Amino acid sequence: MSSDDKQVPQNIMMILTQHFQTLIPDDVEEITMQLFAFDAEDDVDLQEGSKIASILNSLKNNTQIVLGLTVSSVDEDRSISMMPEAATAATANANVNYLYVETHELFETICGLLEETQMTPVDVAKSLMTKNKSGRSRRVFEDGVEEIVNGVLNGRGKRQRAHDDQPEVQGPALWVSSERGATSSPIEYSDVHAYRLSLSEDTKALNQLNTLIQEGKEMVSVLYAYRSCVKALPQLPDSMKQSQADLYLETYQVLDLEMSRLREIQRWQASAASKLAADMQRFSRPERRINGPTVTHLWSMLKLLDVLVQLDHLKNAKASIPNDFSWYKRTFTQVSIQWQDTDSMREELDDLQIFLSTRWAILLNLHVEMFRVNNVEDILQVLIVYATECLELDFALLFPERHVLLRVLPVLVVLATSSEKDSESLNKRVKMNRLITIFKNDPVIPAFPDLHLSPAAILKELSMYFPKFSAQTRLLSLPAPHELPPRERHYLVINHIGAIRAEHDDFTIRFASAMNQLALLKTIESADIEWSKEVKGCMYDMVVEGFQLLSRWSCRIWEQCAWKFSRPCKDFVESVEMTSSVSDYEKVVRFNYSGDERKALVELVSYIKSIGSMMQRCDALVADALWETVHAEVQDFVQNTLAAMLRTTFRKKKDLCRILSDMRTLSADWMANTTKPESEMPTSQHGGEENKGNFFFPRAVAPTAAQVHCLQFLIYEVVSGGNMRKPGGLFGNSSSDIPANDLKQLETFFYKLSFFLHILDYSVTVATLTDLGFLWFREFYLESSRVIQFPIDCSLPWMLVDHVLESQNGGLLESILMPFDIYNDSAQHALVVLKQRFLYDEIEAEVDNCFDIFVSRLCEAIFTHYKSWAASELLDPSFLFTLDNGEKFSVRPMRFTALLNMKRVNLLGRTINLRSLIAERMNKLFRDNLEFLFDRFESQDLCAIVELEQLLEILKMTHEFLSRDLTIDSFSIMLSEMMENVSLVSYSSRLASQIWTEMQNDFLPNFILCNTTQRFVRSSKVPSAPVQKPSVPYAKPNFYCGTPELNSAHQSLGRLHSGFFGLPHMFSIVRLLGTRSLPWLIRALLDHISTKITTLEPMITGLQGALPKSIGLLPFDGGVTGCMKLVKELLKWQSKIELKTEILHGIKEVGSALYWMGMLDIVLREVDTTQFMQVASWLGLIPGTDGQILQSQEDGNSPVVTLFKSATAATVSSNRVNPTPFYTMSKQSEAADLLYKANLNTGSVLEYALAFTSAALDKYCTKWSAAPKTGFIDITTSKDFYRIFSGLQIEYLEDCMLVPPNNHEMLGDSVAWGGCTIIYLLGQQLHFELFDFSYQVLNIAEVDSAATGPSNKSPHLSQGWEVLLESMKKARRLNNHVFSMLKARCPLEDKQACAIKQSGAPLHRIKFENTVSAFETLPQKCS
Amino acid sequence: MARAGGITNAVNVGIAVQADWENREFISHISLKVRQLFDFLVQFEATTKSKLASLNEKLDTLERCLELLEVQVSTATANPNLFKT
Repeated sequence: MSSDDKQVPQNIMMILTQHFQTLIPDDVEEITMQLFAFDAEDDVDLQEGSKIASILNSLKNNTQIVLGLTVSSVDEDRSISMMPEAATAATANANVNYLYVETHELFETICGLLEETQMTPVDVAKSLMTKNKSGRSRRVFEDGVEEIVNGVLNGRGKRQRAHDDQPEVQGPALWVSSERGATSSPIEYSDVHAYRLSLSEDTKALNQLNTLIQEGKEMVSVLYAYRSCVKALPQLPDSMKQSQADLYLETYQVLDLEMSRLREIQRWQASAASKLAADMQRFSRPERRINGPTVTHLWSMLKLLDVLVQLDHLKNAKASIPNDFSWYKRTFTQVSIQWQDTDSMREELDDLQIFLSTRWAILLNLHVEMFRVNNVEDILQVLIVYATECLELDFALLFPERHVLLRVLPVLVVLATSSEKDSESLNKRVKMNRLITIFKNDPVIPAFPDLHLSPAAILKELSMYFPKFSAQTRLLSLPAPHELPPRERHYLVINHIGAIRAEHDDFTIRFASAMNQLALLKTIESADIEWSKEVKGCMYDMVVEGFQLLSRWSCRIWEQCAWKFSRPCKDFVESVEMTSSVSDYEKVVRFNYSGDERKALVELVSYIKSIGSMMQRCDALVADALWETVHAEVQDFVQNTLAAMLRTTFRKKKDLCRILSDMRTLSADWMANTTKPESEMPTSQHGGEENKGNFFFPRAVAPTAAQVHCLQFLIYEVVSGGNMRKPGGLFGNSSSDIPANDLKQLETFFYKLSFFLHILDYSVTVATLTDLGFLWFREFYLESSRVIQFPIDCSLPWMLVDHVLESQNGGLLESILMPFDIYNDSAQHALVVLKQRFLYDEIEAEVDNCFDIFVSRLCEAIFTHYKSWAASELLDPSFLFTLDNGEKFSVRPMRFTALLNMKRVNLLGRTINLRSLIAERMNKLFRDNLEFLFDRFESQDLCAIVELEQLLEILKMTHEFLSRDLTIDSFSIMLSEMMENVSLVSYSSRLASQIWTEMQNDFLPNFILCNTTQRFVRSSKVPSAPVQKPSVPYAKPNFYCGTPELNSAHQSLGRLHSGFFGLPHMFSIVRLLGTRSLPWLIRALLDHISTKITTLEPMITGLQGALPKSIGLLPFDGGVTGCMKLVKELLKWQSKIELKTEILHGIKEVGSALYWMGMLDIVLREVDTTQFMQVASWLGLIPGTDGQILQSQEDGNSPVVTLFKSATAATVSSNRVNPTPFYTMSKQSEAADLLYKANLNTGSVLEYALAFTSAALDKYCTKWSAAPKTGFIDITTSKDFYRIFSGLQIEYLEDCMLVPPNNHEMLGDSVAWGGCTIIYLLGQQLHFELFDFSYQVLNIAEVDSAATGPSNKSPHLSQGWEVLLESMKKARRLNNHVFSMLKARCPLEDKQACAIKQSGAPLHRIKFENTVSAFETLPQKCS
Repeated sequence: MARAGGITNAVNVGIAVQADWENREFISHISLKVRQLFDFLVQFEATTKSKLASLNEKLDTLERCLELLEVQVSTATANPNLFKT
């Protein structure tokens, strides 16, 4: 090879490398930036920067605390898969803390620089740590810092980071998806020939066996996924019997396809058996013809045997195959009648029938083949010894290999002991006890997803077919799994989960730290070689450890499954009462896992998946480190260890020497020493005389599979001396003359070699180890249960998801997406391994279904949680504190944040935006909830308004909490949507019109006022017109307050306000309707008053007509009794009793409405005052004398405007900040100033209402208060309103006394309010007070009592007037109260009132004409 | 018996092995870089997807807001006389 030739590839390499390296970080960043330039608020980086700064700050102050916090938080959320970020943070804290550096002048610099670039503190820490080993801590620390600072300044510390804010809470999901390709790694050993080890024949056989294994696996898949065709065949109805022959033909054609596959299997197994037997026979002759068998070869034999055994098991277990076959045969006989030559076909069919119906046909055939020509006991024994040894030393590195060994061993034993002589010789090689121990330790072996094997059962059953073997009574007396004492401790994951958790936490942290070190190493050019070797070695160790952990954990799941399948649940009765029959599958899966077991399984699955995805992600990052380490290991062994051995131990042994130097020849990489020119040249290529080992530079190349294979073979040769018949096994023999020390070295390297292949096959290994797809498959149970598919409740992955949702466990929640990755695995298995579309379709259907259910239930859970949180926040904390059972109202925190940030959930190759799905559903849920609340209010009376407000408040708070984590529509928009007042021109709303309807139909007629308590209560009398209301709609508790406890708490709060209508209700109305709909309601109410008065008018005219022509003052001489008699004579209304009641009701309604306005006035005043207090200081308002409001500043600018103006001026002058937002704010403040000032002086609603009523009454002035013709007060002939009312009042008072359910309860105090207001507004107050009948009666009674004197206290008692007089007094007091109130609010002298502008803002103290048209400015009720 | 360790032409094999190491270094280097490029593309896709998702989210919100505003404006323009001042 010329030097030019060597130069070229290196140059290309360099160019390409440089190109790639420059291509990746720079271009990409540019593209990304360009793409997302408009996405201005990319806050991820900012947050990260500030996070780093805060971490560093906290490091400065108290590292211990931070560390403690991190650790404790890790403890609490054990089951949450630990993010690499968190892990690195924890390590950073831990590591930096070792330095005991409290503060340093460079901290500031680091902080700043870290924010500029994107380095984590861990990188810093690691760099510092490695330099610190020599103990020159301070100096080194400074050096390190400076180095990093320089690196950062030169832009070398820059790393490509994921601009990805999605938390890692799902599995790797690389199956099914097309994202990664390389998942198969071919091993063909094509380069073995190059080494000229005369292994070519061995290799050929090896490749043949491997091809057979591949084919066999496909056969296994065909058999496993086989479903009965017969079940799907149609039956002909009687009317079509004539075409039976056609059906037979069709059936035959369909079945023929399936049967041809079975025929193929039959043929294949025959050829495989003969090939295997031939292969074995080559090694078992006394003189071997070829080199080997190599270890790889042994494995291939074992695997092929395993495939054959699996096929046999499947053939035995599948009952549908013989079924289909017999049907096939029947159709064949029907169809073949017309055919000419069917003998050969018939023969073939018979063959197939024998094959299918014979149990263990494959194994028996293999046995025959093996012992046909020559005995193969030798090789069988070698295999047994090898398998036993592997199992005992736990040499099988990955669990599938272990299972292969466990499955094959019983069969091997059976085959090897099929003659007396053989069993003895086997006994010599392997003690029976060893085998029995192995069988006992693993009573159940996983074989297929839903079928387990047990060595005991296999041995027992085979003993019938292999008569010689039945002599082995010790092996046959093994207990079957169901006879074993419970071994739950070993098999159930739940018993190991604690240790697993600890392993997981420990491993995650160390792996992340190793990754960080590696990443840091890559950022530093010309790193120390020793250090880089150490870092890479550490990474290698971590990867090996990770594989071992994953293998152990996945193995646990497999074995637990097998164990569960072997022990179906027996006591499922209490959990299932709805279904009469429980399928077998439900017994082994659905009812066989307790809650804790499901929890443990979820945890374990998420550990496997999270570590798997962590390792899968860093595939490309660690690849060269791994190659380099493997290379270094091999070279170290070959160049140093072997050299040493050659010099010392093996100097005398020419044979072995040869082998050792062959090893060196075929794998040594001498030139690695010379590629770096500045390094010291190796002094000698052949071992050298000096004692220290060769120094060689790392090269990131791994040995090929063939090299590993050859090395393994050669070591094996050295150790065993080519003699397989030695007792004691591979490395166990001490008879060899190789020193123990060397043997140990060889052995260690031998084991390492076998792991190298897995390491080099990184992504495939990870994928194999994290593949949990078997948890879904249940073909055997489907067949035995005779159903097409089980419901999803029986499906293990869904059971796990379901369990997480049910358990409401905050720790498990973030693992909820992990079980979905099982579906990905099983879909992949169905597509790639089983190659069955129907299985994939079934999985897909199940996933679709499950995911929908999952999303909807997750949303419910999220909504409930946030709702309860809000509801419990709104409860009074001090009250809760003093409460004994206050804890039950507190809400356990749940972290939905991670799930809410999932924008890419990988499911069966699809990418699902979970976040947007949730947001959509949340928007809908909030609207539904609002709808429900209004529905609920509509089914209740007006008093429920307080409860409505409370519930709306809770909902609003829920929205506030949720929108911190999720983008959903703003609450006000949703509210206005549901209130149906989106339109700009609609002043009413759903709520306002409901309130109005409620008032008109129920409140005004049926509620009575209590003047003293200022409350309206429902009249106890049955309402004249019962109000029709929809029934209260049903809703789940999360539409109220979340949990049932909180519901009851808030309900009892709400119940306090449910019995009456008072000021709290008024406050609620004001808050809920706001300034927009309130004027509409007021207008509606005023219109109602005016209508009422109009309807009253004719009735009053009627009563006026019934009055006698003249009514004088009541005479004093008759006393009270006489007076009453006279009054009764005067008022001859008895015939018009209905008219009277109606008038009273009318007056009561007017009174109620006016009083309601009064309450509204009070509330509005309070609200206005509060607002004024808040605004005044900003607007610069100060109270002046006499209730006036003065402007504090003379220049007309209020403080808020001045403040923003000066701020803007300052920013403009300083020129450092962008002044645009300040200009905006300044403008806004001016607007706010104007708006708030305009709204300051609001008028009184009550005054306005009184003015309105007065205007409405003006129409009837002539009728109700006729001007006296004489000009004097008309006493006797007046038929004015006051007279009517006083008549009504005295009769009403009398009735109150007489009727047991007294009238007062029916009408309440609002009659007085209504009557007196009308009287007052008509200007008849004085008349009324002078001439009212009851007042006159009271006067008479007073005179009477004064006359009779105090001696005779109660002159009226005997006459029975005491009660009446008392109620008259009460009425007088009430009337006086009303009159004084009216005088204060509506002085009649100048009918002052306020108007309301179009905008809804009342205009204060404006004089206007008393015409109704003046009120047209209010929004119309029905526009 | 064909004894193991039968490398007949050890020197030639050694040279070939050496050349093989060199070649494979080149190959593995290239393949690793391709894988890294591939990795990056996958990551880039993921990043892009989530960025687009958040953009979509914002657009959704804006769209709904806009819809509401449109309705409001349409009610206003349907009754122009109400807004005459």
